[in-house]
Amino acid sequence: MSVGFGGLRLGGCVWTASGTCGYADELGEFMDMDRLGGFITKSITLEPRKGNATPRIVETDSGMLNAIGLANIGVERFIEEKVPLLAKMKAAVFVNVAGREIDDYVAVIDLLAGVEGIAGFELNVSCPNVKRGGITFGTDVGLLREITAAAKAAAAGKMLMVKLTPSVTNVSEMAAAAVEAGADALSLINTFTAMVVDIETRRPVLANRTGGLSGPAIKPIAVYMVNRVYNEVAKERGIPILGMGGIRNASDAVEFLLAGATAVAVGTASFVRPASAVRIMDGIERYCERMGVGAVAELTGALL
Amino acid sequence: MYMDEMDVGQRKGDFSAVVASNRRIGDTFWKLRLEFGGEAADAFRTFRPGQFVQIDAAGAPLPPLEQIPETLQDTAERQVMLRRPFSFTDLDVQKRKTVGEILYCVVGPATLRMTMLRPGDGIAVIGPLGNGFRVPEGKRTALLVVGGMGTAPLQHLARHLAYDHKEIDATVFAGARTTRALPFERRQDEISQGLGFALPEFSRYGMESFIATDNGTAGFHGFVTDCVGKWLDENHPKPENTIVYTCGPEVMLAAMAKLAAERRIDCQVSMERRMACGIGVCQSCAVECRVPGSNETMYRMCCKDGPVFDSREVVFGEHN
Repeated sequence: MSVGFGGLRLGGCVWTASGTCGYADELGEFMDMDRLGGFITKSITLEPRKGNATPRIVETDSGMLNAIGLANIGVERFIEEKVPLLAKMKAAVFVNVAGREIDDYVAVIDLLAGVEGIAGFELNVSCPNVKRGGITFGTDVGLLREITAAAKAAAAGKMLMVKLTPSVTNVSEMAAAAVEAGADALSLINTFTAMVVDIETRRPVLANRTGGLSGPAIKPIAVYMVNRVYNEVAKERGIPILGMGGIRNASDAVEFLLAGATAVAVGTASFVRPASAVRIMDGIERYCERMGVGAVAELTGALL
Repeated sequence: MYMDEMDVGQRKGDFSAVVASNRRIGDTFWKLRLEFGGEAADAFRTFRPGQFVQIDAAGAPLPPLEQIPETLQDTAERQVMLRRPFSFTDLDVQKRKTVGEILYCVVGPATLRMTMLRPGDGIAVIGPLGNGFRVPEGKRTALLVVGGMGTAPLQHLARHLAYDHKEIDATVFAGARTTRALPFERRQDEISQGLGFALPEFSRYGMESFIATDNGTAGFHGFVTDCVGKWLDENHPKPENTIVYTCGPEVMLAAMAKLAAERRIDCQVSMERRMACGIGVCQSCAVECRVPGSNETMYRMCCKDGPVFDSREVVFGEHN
């Protein structure tokens, strides 16, 4: 079931979310990666990053917190070692880009803008687990405009998607700022900043103290935010939304589509069932058949 | 690493296993036997000691409230989303099926649910995962150094050494805080004060075993690593022909790594970390490792690069 996403034509409406699908080789042992609509790499930064000390995760009711700290091999090694494999994928490959300063983001995009096999970029302005950069950009309208415009200029025609944080009062304000500054698509939501306390040691469980909450626990909030951004920003401007946040099965995914998403991404669910994305795609097809829906696009924003 | 021990070519997958048995062997210790048929039987046939599986216990019911110890009643209410990693204590490869045995300690919502599994129940299992213990050529003496629940992969290793490496003499050292914290089948009142007595889990392979308890309630009074040091002083095996395999709390692994380095003995440690995926995508289970030829360190993943590491690689921390 193909679906249009901005200027792209995708083989399916289910993507794997950044930071939950490695560099593609790991999940490939469990499912046919060519069935994915899109694949988003883990965050890539200019310099390699070791990431945070452990514990980096903790399970919570219907979810988990992570504070990986953008561990990655850096853009140069990424281009050398990972891009050749990614370029062979049928799915649209998006590189998630992170950094401390706007210049860092621009430098990464500059190096990748001419690389074949990469469909676009997902701008990580919403990572809660690094001390500078990340979420700072996603919570300040002025900074968000500035970084989006700079990234757009560097992307040299490749698609630019901005990943929004839910940790703001008015998510539509941020969405509008990103779109006005040149974003071609929006992805939402990233994780919520959260904390779990070990009452025996009286310390936060995570070495980073706080982490990002993901999983089914955040799904209803994510659906609401997608719907709000769709109605207030995306619909009239024709901007596609990649909806995500706690999607575990096809029903969850269809909720996001009806709320306004053009495609959906699966993250935490892949940790439990590595083939989740493909399983969800099959389920969406069955839903469409059952409802007499000819194309997934008919579901986008079809909420009554 | 040698051809017969490489993990390449092993196909991992998300399989369904059938519970063959699930029984309590101590206060909080249980043994679960899982049968794999069809494709899964083939995948698990080459499961190596030290590798692990990810078990999805979320669908199992909780035990009745009155059966849940008071100390676990709060945690019992937590919902389980993620799988839990376990190594095998034993692997039985049969013609049409492969049977793996898991030793588990009831500590939280997932392991409480696992106690409710009954023979015939189906359960989702991802595996085989990670890299197991390696047996370098030329070794004649192996010391299996166990800290509490760390016995699990070493029991499987004991079987492998007994059947496939008859050239190696293995001796087992098992430590825990107290006698009750020793996860073995032997009844606690049978555990003698003597130093050398048989743990059936290892004596079945003809291996001598020593017990050490921190409080002296059984065996050697003190840390298991001191017990190993004493044994090395008395038996002085050739360092180059000797290897230590160890699994347990990180502080014990660190002490064992230090002792092995002092005696110039190879040492492989099986590390433990909080994991989400177990397949290398979530990046949670970072183990700090030395970068060869520099003073730098890097994080390697316990699930994908380990869980077994050469002890010289690892920068041990305060984890347990």
